[in-house]
Amino acid sequence: MKDELEKLVVDLTAALSSVHDTAALEVVRVEYVGRKGRLAELMKGLAALSVDEKKVIGQIANSVKARVEAEFARVEKMIADADVKARMTREWLDVTLPGAAPSVGHLHLVSQAIEDITDIFRRLGFVRARHPEIDGDYYAFEALNMPKDHPARDEWETFFIRDSHSAEVMQGQKGKMVLTPHTSNGQVREMEKGVLPIRMISIGKCYRRQSTARHSPMFHQFEGLVIDKKSSVTELKGVCEYFAKSYFGADRTTRLRPYHFRFTEPSFELDISCGICKGVGSVGGVKCKLCKEGWLELGGAGMVHPNVIKAGGLDPDVYAGFAFGWGVERTMMMRAGVNIDDIRILYRNDLRFIRQF
Amino acid sequence: MNNFASYNWLKEYCKTTLSPEDFSSEISLRSMSVEKVDHVSERFAHIIVGLVNEVRPHPNADKLRIATVSMGSAAVEIVCGGTNLVEGMKVALALPGSTVIGHDGQRVTLAVNTIRGVESPGMLCGPDELGFGALKKGAHEIWDLGAVTDAKAGTPLAEALGIDDVMFDVEITTNRPDAMGIVGLAREAGAACGAPFAWQPPIFPVAANDIPFTVAIEDASRCLRQMAVVIDGVTVAPSPWWLQARLLLAGLRPINNIVDITNYVMLEYAQPLHAFDYKKLDGAEIRVRQGRAGEKLVALNGKEYDVEGVLVLADAVKPLDIAGIMGGEHTGTTSETTTVVLSASAFDHVALRRTSRALHLQSDAQLLFEKGLSTEAPPFALARAVELIAKIAGGRVASPVCDERVSPYVPIVLTCNPQKIRERIGIDISDVRILEILTQLGFAVDQLHGAWSVIVPWWRDHDIEDAIDLSEEVARIYGYHELPAILPSGVPPTTPEDATLVWERWCKRFFAGAGYDEFFSNSFVSADDLARYGEDAAQSYALLNPLASDLSHMRMSLMPSILRAVESNQGHIASAKFFELSRVYIPHGNDMPEERMQLVLGEYGHDDVEKAFMRTRGVLDVFAARTGLSLTLLRDETDARWHPSRTAKIMHGEVCVGRIGEIAFATQIAFGINRRVMVLALDLETLFSSMHLTHRYVPVSEFPSVVRDLSIILDERATFDDIVRCAKNDIVASAALVDVYRGAGVPEGKKSMTVSFTMQVERTLTSEEADTALAVISEKLVSELSGILRS
Repeated sequence: MKDELEKLVVDLTAALSSVHDTAALEVVRVEYVGRKGRLAELMKGLAALSVDEKKVIGQIANSVKARVEAEFARVEKMIADADVKARMTREWLDVTLPGAAPSVGHLHLVSQAIEDITDIFRRLGFVRARHPEIDGDYYAFEALNMPKDHPARDEWETFFIRDSHSAEVMQGQKGKMVLTPHTSNGQVREMEKGVLPIRMISIGKCYRRQSTARHSPMFHQFEGLVIDKKSSVTELKGVCEYFAKSYFGADRTTRLRPYHFRFTEPSFELDISCGICKGVGSVGGVKCKLCKEGWLELGGAGMVHPNVIKAGGLDPDVYAGFAFGWGVERTMMMRAGVNIDDIRILYRNDLRFIRQF
Repeated sequence: MNNFASYNWLKEYCKTTLSPEDFSSEISLRSMSVEKVDHVSERFAHIIVGLVNEVRPHPNADKLRIATVSMGSAAVEIVCGGTNLVEGMKVALALPGSTVIGHDGQRVTLAVNTIRGVESPGMLCGPDELGFGALKKGAHEIWDLGAVTDAKAGTPLAEALGIDDVMFDVEITTNRPDAMGIVGLAREAGAACGAPFAWQPPIFPVAANDIPFTVAIEDASRCLRQMAVVIDGVTVAPSPWWLQARLLLAGLRPINNIVDITNYVMLEYAQPLHAFDYKKLDGAEIRVRQGRAGEKLVALNGKEYDVEGVLVLADAVKPLDIAGIMGGEHTGTTSETTTVVLSASAFDHVALRRTSRALHLQSDAQLLFEKGLSTEAPPFALARAVELIAKIAGGRVASPVCDERVSPYVPIVLTCNPQKIRERIGIDISDVRILEILTQLGFAVDQLHGAWSVIVPWWRDHDIEDAIDLSEEVARIYGYHELPAILPSGVPPTTPEDATLVWERWCKRFFAGAGYDEFFSNSFVSADDLARYGEDAAQSYALLNPLASDLSHMRMSLMPSILRAVESNQGHIASAKFFELSRVYIPHGNDMPEERMQLVLGEYGHDDVEKAFMRTRGVLDVFAARTGLSLTLLRDETDARWHPSRTAKIMHGEVCVGRIGEIAFATQIAFGINRRVMVLALDLETLFSSMHLTHRYVPVSEFPSVVRDLSIILDERATFDDIVRCAKNDIVASAALVDVYRGAGVPEGKKSMTVSFTMQVERTLTSEEADTALAVISEKLVSELSGILRS
């Protein structure tokens, strides 16, 4: 009987060697371990044995049963593995299919620049404020130390609102209505709020009567204003440098150059080292096309004129501060890589342009 | 204002040895910005003096000749079309590699050229080809250098002409007309470079009495000082070359020695002068007065001006000169002139500026005067001119030096506290250094106890108004670039950011994230576009001085700009989704305008209007949900600009805050748009204060929901809202539209709507309960909407 049991295992192994699918496996299963299968038949013979023989053969039979089960498990797994493998092979995907883009809109380049600029000044504790784009010329000029008929007013190619809406309407302290040629009208307006100290960043639309590759009649400026009990040129320089390095990169350097504005004293222009020639002024011996002697003009700045502080209702003997006003588009276009050669494309609403950014 | 300043000229007064580049950098950082450094000799590289040895005809051209030109050691054969070419002539020979100015005004680099079969290794130049077009020569004439240089053949041209110079293009800020003069700029440069300033005031002319002359000021509000002197025995002729060259390099045209000297002194002293021919004056006097009724004057530009009420310099009979702006054509110096009247004045700059604007007349003199020149400048300029005329044109002073002024000069005296200067700059700069800087710039400082008394020099009496201005003088000469950069030491404010700006940014991100491209239009619109959108141009702000007729009005709504943008894009992009969030400008009675933030969002080029509407409304719904707004729609047919059957008002409570729907066909046509446009317009300014991003947590249900779908054929005009109304039920949590279908199986004029109902209660819902609820809904739909259920 022992031999027969051993033979059953050998036969089973042989039978299973040709089994490759579940159906064939079931046939073998019925033949060997079915209710009337070979194993069951052999086990019937167990009853006729003596107690001692039963002990020996019983052990063998148990071991054979385990081996038989293991044999079936092995083949089952083999078949399952083969099935999975076959399915994976069947499920072929063309991985060169083009992507189906999600619908994502494009924020306009100027909106992106405004966000970037806001975020940098926010880190220095500047708070964004909103001021009118159409304002009385009092705020655009007079309050900024530019009395009526002052030639400095000519430097701003100002748009005026036609009289039917302006002359009698805006009489009184606010003067004639103009499209603000700079965001500096926000200086006195911010001071008039009377909340001190001030660290304001005001980003808004400005208007000037110019239309060239470098000038759009509508453009944006960002105006910074700091008013506190203690304030100095060195702090103005610190803020300008912080912005320039944050926005353009830590490898860029800035310099203040004397300039003249009626509403600041002293007044400066801020230059930033050119990103193309690295501030050298020439590339490979050829004069740099982008900059002047290695520097690019970023914009104006200065210590707020005491007359402007007075106009804001504050005492210039107590309060001092600084201000700067720079063009958003110009600043954005100076950032390396943007490569826009005509500012006016920004406001033509050409989707082929808008979708590039 | 830009000053084209010669380095050689500056160095006559500022004793510096810096290289032009270092000099330029120092004055840029401490005084005025140098925009360009132009080495004149580089302009004339490879151009030399040549001597024409022989001239012979060109074998193949009548108008060309071949000249043998000596370059000193060697000679070359040059093909030349110059009509005045003769043997023995000294010429400017441009060799290959040099640059000359072509007939189109562009610079061209020369190469060896073959002209009509004859090789020509260079060209002989006319003044215009060398950038001296201001020198009048006949057409096709080359420049005969014999009159201007003794240099030998082979000498580099710049050296031969004495123009081996460097020109700085300096941007002079408008408050500093004094620095428009070489002397003023040299004074600045001296302080900036630490170099000695070596200007000596010219010797004031000694008066004579051979020819009597008087001046009088009749309009003391507009003319502040008038000086004149008569110089007799002058010989009017072309100026010596060195003088002409200085004018040419500065961009001025040489005329004759007298006029050239007045221009030279203007360049040097930034004080305009004028020279009259004494013999053309009626009476020996200059009166500065208002032009009388009917008086006219032909100015130097050849145009006639009506000068009634305009300030003029006049003789006993007639106006001679529009004061400070332009001289008269008929009283200037000519080659016959032997006696000149030199005039120097000071005017009220505001009045002069108004006159210039009123006459639409500008000049170099006027641009200086209107910046504000001191009453103390005329005598210096007059003396300098007299000095030069004596030297160059050979005259002598023949009259008293006439000088009338409306009031004696009182210099500005400021009290200045050096400590305040230090605080404002933010560094510890010594009293000694402050004093040194102020003195270098010409300020006279009297040190008292603590506070200083500072006398402002006359050439700064217009721009230095206050002691605060002195801090700038000190800081800039010290050098802004030398200052440390520190961050503000104060405490940052706790003021919140302007909420509308925070929302503006959030909204833009939201709409772009939802798949809409951002438009950014000009705030200006044309009156025509306003009319096309049915707006009354008279109601909106019109510009007094628009740049162009399509930029004439400030928009009251974003719609005209948006429709214009759709029109301009439709040719390139068949359909698109867009938005703009920007301010519009609403006139507001007698007060400041209202600047309101508005949103327009939408799409064009859709072919399924229902889907386009649902997409647009979907954005609105999600936006409202995210910002906590409760918005409802109300069908509206009242606005003709919008499609009457496809538009709804957007209501926030009882307030209409916008509109959603399709643009009316007529509006579309008016803008030339050939596609459908579906938009929503929202007055965000009204809504901002109701918007919030904080959402209250609602516990999620522990029980599963059950979903049941239903398809029903309804009349075309039945609405989704009707279905929702019929589905109102205790266990129906929401109804969603799955599909709207028209076509096979659905009768004409009907539509089939498939709706999915989600049922949810706070216990486990049985399948039977859900089926019962659906049956109730179905029954209602059939009875109330005459619907036909589809199986």
